[in-house]
Amino acid sequence: MTVEELKKQLKLLGAEYAKIKTLPPEDRKTFGEEINKKKQALLKQIAEVEAAAESADITKIDLTAPFPVNAEYKTQKFGTKHPLSAEIDKIIDIYSHMGFNVIESRQLDDEFHMFDSLNFSKGHPARDGYDTFRTEEGFIPPAHTSTMQHRALKKYKKDLENGGNIAVVIPGRVFRNEDVDATHEHTFYQCEGVFVSKTATLGQMLGVLKHFFEVYYGEKLRIKTQPGYFPFTEPSLEILIEKPKSLGGKGDGWLELLGGGMIHPNVLKAAGIDPTKYKGFAWGGGIERLVMMKYKLNDIRYFESGKLDFLEEF
Amino acid sequence: MKISLNALKQYVNMKVPVSELLTLIGSRLVEIEGTIDLSEKYKNIKIVKVAECEKIAGTHLSLCQIDAGTKELIQVVCGAPNVHRGMLAVWLAPGVIVPSTFGNENFKLGSKKLRGFESNGMLAAADELDFWPDHEGILEINPKDAKPGDSFAEIFDLNDIILDIENKSLTHRPDCFGLVGFAREVAGILGEEFTNPEYLFLGVSNKNSDNLKIEIKDSEICPRYSCAVLDASKLQEKSKYLQKSDIFLFKAGMRPVSPIVDLTNIIMLETGQPLHAFDYDKFASVGGAKIPQIIVRLANNDEELQLLDGKTIKCVPTDILITSNNVPVALAGAMGGANTEIDASTKKIILESATFSLYNLRKTQMEHGIFSEAITRFTKGQPAEQTSPVLREAIRRLDATPEVVADCYPAPGKLNIIKISTKEINSLLGSDYSIQTIVKTLENVNFSVYAPKIGHTPKLSLGKFAELQDDEIAIVAPSWRTDIFIKEDIVEEVGRLLGYDNIPLDFPTRPFIESKVDDTLVLKNKIRTILSDRLGANEVLSYSFVSEDLLSRANLDTENVYKIVNSISPELQCFRSSIVPSLIEKMRDNFKSGHNDFTLYEMNQISSKDFGCDADGVPIVKTSLAVALFGDFYTIKNITSQLFAELGLNLDIAPIDKHPYFEPLHSAVVSIDGTPVAYLGEIKKSVLRRFKVEKSLAVLEMNLESIKSSSANQTKQISFSKFPSVFRDLTLKVSADTDFAAVQHELMQVLDAKSLISSIQPVSIYQPESNLKTKNISFHLSFSNPNKTLDSQEISDIMEEINHKLSKTLGAEVV
Repeated sequence: MTVEELKKQLKLLGAEYAKIKTLPPEDRKTFGEEINKKKQALLKQIAEVEAAAESADITKIDLTAPFPVNAEYKTQKFGTKHPLSAEIDKIIDIYSHMGFNVIESRQLDDEFHMFDSLNFSKGHPARDGYDTFRTEEGFIPPAHTSTMQHRALKKYKKDLENGGNIAVVIPGRVFRNEDVDATHEHTFYQCEGVFVSKTATLGQMLGVLKHFFEVYYGEKLRIKTQPGYFPFTEPSLEILIEKPKSLGGKGDGWLELLGGGMIHPNVLKAAGIDPTKYKGFAWGGGIERLVMMKYKLNDIRYFESGKLDFLEEF
Repeated sequence: MKISLNALKQYVNMKVPVSELLTLIGSRLVEIEGTIDLSEKYKNIKIVKVAECEKIAGTHLSLCQIDAGTKELIQVVCGAPNVHRGMLAVWLAPGVIVPSTFGNENFKLGSKKLRGFESNGMLAAADELDFWPDHEGILEINPKDAKPGDSFAEIFDLNDIILDIENKSLTHRPDCFGLVGFAREVAGILGEEFTNPEYLFLGVSNKNSDNLKIEIKDSEICPRYSCAVLDASKLQEKSKYLQKSDIFLFKAGMRPVSPIVDLTNIIMLETGQPLHAFDYDKFASVGGAKIPQIIVRLANNDEELQLLDGKTIKCVPTDILITSNNVPVALAGAMGGANTEIDASTKKIILESATFSLYNLRKTQMEHGIFSEAITRFTKGQPAEQTSPVLREAIRRLDATPEVVADCYPAPGKLNIIKISTKEINSLLGSDYSIQTIVKTLENVNFSVYAPKIGHTPKLSLGKFAELQDDEIAIVAPSWRTDIFIKEDIVEEVGRLLGYDNIPLDFPTRPFIESKVDDTLVLKNKIRTILSDRLGANEVLSYSFVSEDLLSRANLDTENVYKIVNSISPELQCFRSSIVPSLIEKMRDNFKSGHNDFTLYEMNQISSKDFGCDADGVPIVKTSLAVALFGDFYTIKNITSQLFAELGLNLDIAPIDKHPYFEPLHSAVVSIDGTPVAYLGEIKKSVLRRFKVEKSLAVLEMNLESIKSSSANQTKQISFSKFPSVFRDLTLKVSADTDFAAVQHELMQVLDAKSLISSIQPVSIYQPESNLKTKNISFHLSFSNPNKTLDSQEISDIMEEINHKLSKTLGAEVV
């Protein structure tokens, strides 16, 4: 039926309704309801027919095709951020929201920042050339972002003196005398964290780091520790988190992701902070591993390869 | 390091199941990398008696009938030369996994015919049992130890679990490199008091003997040297039977050698203290003295010594030498010399128990590539206090009467007393441990604790430390704890032994003030978003270390780059002074592997001696951005202008005179307030040739530090009118040498003078080959008045003024 025909019927129905006055009062209600029911049905039918007519001249297309028949489309080419940079930005973002300042680690440093200020004894094996690179002048491309701890303590010391805390994270590139293979690189990234206040405790450090990983992975996680040894923290520990479900964790695996501890009083002292008044904690961990687990990468060498095939995936 | 669980049980009462014990050790002492269940590996292996044994004619084989404790004899063919009637041997029955294949192929023996004779399983040699690589003959068991049918694992203590310990996290704990020390920690973790073997406290005193002189040239390199002269004639004979001590060594990853060496190794495994035995007569004669003169000193450069393994080393000045009257006889802590090796003719030995500087030994280890069990322990810094008790115990176990015992201990350490309060411990950990818990925890691992509050009185005189405040305690660490100096070390002990995981988690409180991300990081993030998300470029990261050759190819001065003296290879020798050479290589490599149209960029630190040093005296590093693409000056300029616009910076460019790798006539310098901040343009053809790049390559190189202050508070300029814009196309003919910028500038002036909101979009620059004197520049103009709609008269007035003005100032002609 066309719209016109339906509208005609609607008109006829209107005429029929006029008969209501001729009926005895007790029948009028039933009659009125019946006419109204018919009217609603007709209106619905009209609307359907009209809607069908609206798209009547549109032809069917292949919704699964990338472009129409007989046409050339240039797809928009997007660039990519390096996965390590993107991850560092994400990490910075979380810590920054938690109230940490962020500074970047430097790629050339000296014996003082790398070792002396961090309470490494004079003859400590880490100082020798088997682990640490040195320039002809004796400068050091740092082997860990902890090389920035002393600077960070000094830079933000005024915050302590103003009644606040030192809270800073330090991402950056570090270097280690290491032969390169699928799981080892001589050039890699770390992120360091430093917190100092009058009341800092080990419990706070574990609370902060657990929270960080819960935000980072977007799920509740358990945290556990293992004793560790670093000259610049006392106590020192390794921090593990439960393997997140998003990485296929089933509640029984653990990931060793950070080393940390309470800042050694000699480290605070070296930066002019009184260790009898202030306590602090510091931690550090690698970035590559986080990215490798996230994307299930099995070769660390991709990161510095500069290969577009790799970069374009991100 | 391998630790036997059964060995630990000799010292500690294990109240918890193995799985829980392993978890506790992992969380409170050291990471366990893995465990090996030996009871699985040596399952169903039996000790048997060779009841009959006959040679099979024409072969090296013997046909044996063995008694495995069952009623019937079993036939086994054996090829070992030492198989003989009546001996006890180890039998791998059919169906038993050969231990040397355990965990890999899990090879099971069967019954098969050898030279026509049925052979059921085999009699095993040490290598087949995965003990040590020895296939000279089958193992023989002492009839005093076992009878036929006995379980091999039960008799030889192989129902055991071996813990594989991650050495690295115990570098500061020399005591844990001995079973006793490890067990002490396990007791502490389980909350039990550890009882030390008595011998640890019984030593010989600090004395020199008339019959042997010890001289330590520097007590820093050798804090203590103890030794004894023993009659070795009774100690030489090795038993033909498999010893239980052989299995003890095997479980620690070692193998039996000779009775004296085995004993020194066993004692080392127990206490962490390595011992070394010299041939007494050889020692004396090498030094040319009747009475041995032991002199411990640093080596001279290039001093030579032939070691026990036959290799002759050239010493470095950090090596410590044991000398006989100044003639080297051992590389201290690492290996003995060939000239004093004990052999079958040795009558007397000098047994050494000493300790050396761990720093020197670490260098020795790396220099000469010696990674023995002994040096591994010495490099953790074995305590001087234990040399003499361990020596005494070795003498006792060798059951020998020493002719001489000598001990040189020039500078005994002082007692270090640490005073700390319960409050200090709890406030650093965030815990709430009672004084009783703390004291007990420390006493369990043999710390001496003076805690008057709970009635613990000192065994030692504490002097002024005897006066303690309310909840304070005074602590003296045992002599083997060479890592305890300050209060925080005590906090670590308490926190660790009671479990860091038992500390309640908490958050710091902080004032409500903003945190700040460093400007360079913010800028990098911004640039990354513009280049990757808007301009289609791919970010790369490449090594900070490059070869001198790479820099030279880009004409960069290599005199002023920082060079790594111990670089992994010449390819990684220089700290780069520019990212551009690395980026050119990455462009080339990607092009060669088939990519065509792409833009790469990197932001990273660079340095050069030219930059100087900062207030700390360390080299100034700058953060540099480099963008590269295949194209000409204008291609890179296009990206640069979009980047600058997004950053809110003016692109103020000028020609350059000279540059190592930018082509001067096709490159420009960008300045902000007169300071150059970036270069952009084409890379010199000569440079590209050296990089084997055959296409034109253009680069933007920018110093981020110098733009961060300009860019930080800049906002991209935006302007638009609510009244309609007028669009007009305009083509101007100007002389060929007129700069585009001049034309654009004049146009802008006209529109700005009328307070119009305008945009000038260049469309083309055309120069016909027939006329090289002029060129036509076409623009697409749009303009609007911010206050009203422009009428046709006003529009034509504006266009007329443009004609007039440009004709007057630039001689331009509207086409």
